[in-house]
Amino acid sequence: MHNRFNPYWKTIILSLGCWAFIHVAQAQNTDSTKQESADEEDFSMYDNVGFADEGARRYCSPKIEGLSPAKLISIGYDFQTGYGLGAGAFKSQDKNTNWSQDSVNVLNSQGLRLGFNIPVISRTNLVWQMGANYWEQRYFMEDPDGSALQTNHPLLQTLSQNGLRTLGVSTTVFKPLDDKRFLLFQGSADLNGDFSPLGMMPLKYLKYSAALVYGLRPNEKKQWGLGLARTYRVGELNYIPVFLFNWTDPANKWGTEILFPARAHVRYTINPRNMLFGGFELEGQSYRLWNTNGTPDKFRDEDLEIRRGEIRLRAMYEFSLKDFIWLSVQAGYRINYRYEVDRLVGGQEIYRAFGLLSDEPYVMENRLGNPLYFNISLNLVSP
Amino acid sequence: MKKLTLFLMSLALCMQAYAFMPGDDGDRLLGVWEPSNGRARVKVEKIGSKYYGKIVWLKEPNDPKSGLPKTDINNPDANLQNVPLKGYRMLKDFVYQENNQWSEGTIYDPLNGSTYSCTIKMTDPNTLDIRGYIGVSAFGRTDVWKRLAVKK
Repeated sequence: MHNRFNPYWKTIILSLGCWAFIHVAQAQNTDSTKQESADEEDFSMYDNVGFADEGARRYCSPKIEGLSPAKLISIGYDFQTGYGLGAGAFKSQDKNTNWSQDSVNVLNSQGLRLGFNIPVISRTNLVWQMGANYWEQRYFMEDPDGSALQTNHPLLQTLSQNGLRTLGVSTTVFKPLDDKRFLLFQGSADLNGDFSPLGMMPLKYLKYSAALVYGLRPNEKKQWGLGLARTYRVGELNYIPVFLFNWTDPANKWGTEILFPARAHVRYTINPRNMLFGGFELEGQSYRLWNTNGTPDKFRDEDLEIRRGEIRLRAMYEFSLKDFIWLSVQAGYRINYRYEVDRLVGGQEIYRAFGLLSDEPYVMENRLGNPLYFNISLNLVSP
Repeated sequence: MKKLTLFLMSLALCMQAYAFMPGDDGDRLLGVWEPSNGRARVKVEKIGSKYYGKIVWLKEPNDPKSGLPKTDINNPDANLQNVPLKGYRMLKDFVYQENNQWSEGTIYDPLNGSTYSCTIKMTDPNTLDIRGYIGVSAFGRTDVWKRLAVKK
């Protein structure tokens, strides 16, 4: 009898033994971590560890220590104080119509600035963000003698009636090559012009910008790189070298945030939630003159674009209002670099390369004064 | 045949009991992990039924100005700014869900003193996707952490 049941008992005991072994092993593992406290633990034991997966690699991060936080959502307003605007004389394409020069006082120009940036892929070996932005600049004008605006100049008419707008999408890709080297790509497609929010320009007027930077990140507090950009920041299309230099001092107080020539700032960190900046930003785009609201008939057919480029010397203060909500206030001096109007030739932009490849004159040469400006924005910042 | 049936039944019961042990799958999170920046090492422990991660190693352990061990100087609560970073629990209150995911926790960033909502996903036994976010997961950033083991 005993012999007949013995094999079954053996089987049951063996199975329970397996279960007990697994359970005890698991419990020991849990207990060993539970019982340690910070006071008792010898932290030196963690000096001599390496990746459990021997094939794993370290990659450099897109950020450095001390850098100002990236903005996921930005809602801002830009305000320029008064300045004079002189619009140049020009002839229509068929030479049948002449517009003489005219001048106005711009009482102020102002507008909303919205920006969105959402991480799409955020991995150790690849970071990809997509963004969108909407900027507007509305012009409030009067005649030079202080009377209500009366002008026949189509540029002044469309600026006062319609203003300028930018609606665009952008993408940023950060590709670390190893723990020290990386590639950074930024691209954008923008509709720029005197269109209204309800009367959008066709997508064929999109302007494409891009930059590719090869960089090094030798330590946690410095990254730098060199690259090439296709840009409209000086108003017209150009291909220029770019220089990236982000740096933070050992005490985490001073630093730089530079992507020259687009922007360059010195940063002073009061604490990680309060930062001061001084420097400049180069802003600009090519704006299609497309809107027929308030402008002469067939002005749209003139194939004209404003080449607007400006330098903004500025001081900024960015701080956390509460947790991840940051306020950014800036004040500065807006220096006009270019505000000329160019005519497309056969639908193509004239590529001058700063006068090296072409000295074709602009069809309308304009003069702008340089006002003070202010900007305030509320931002949701990234983790 | 009877022996085989009995063995399989016993094994099935054991497996079932093992499967219903609370938290066992979640315990795969236990261990030492390195964030992608390589500046720290974080040990994940289990306290009760929740998971916590504390800093156990810093690439730069001492403050460059004072030469003393780094403390949580960026904490918005001034009373906590003297707490040593080594031993600091930067991952808190994670609960194992299913499908290799832990949620309901927070992650603290000592570099800026901010605490974010956080979810953890184990993409393979040695890799974690740690997603810190603000309010909704779309407004966040994922960092990839790698499991560490004692060097042979």
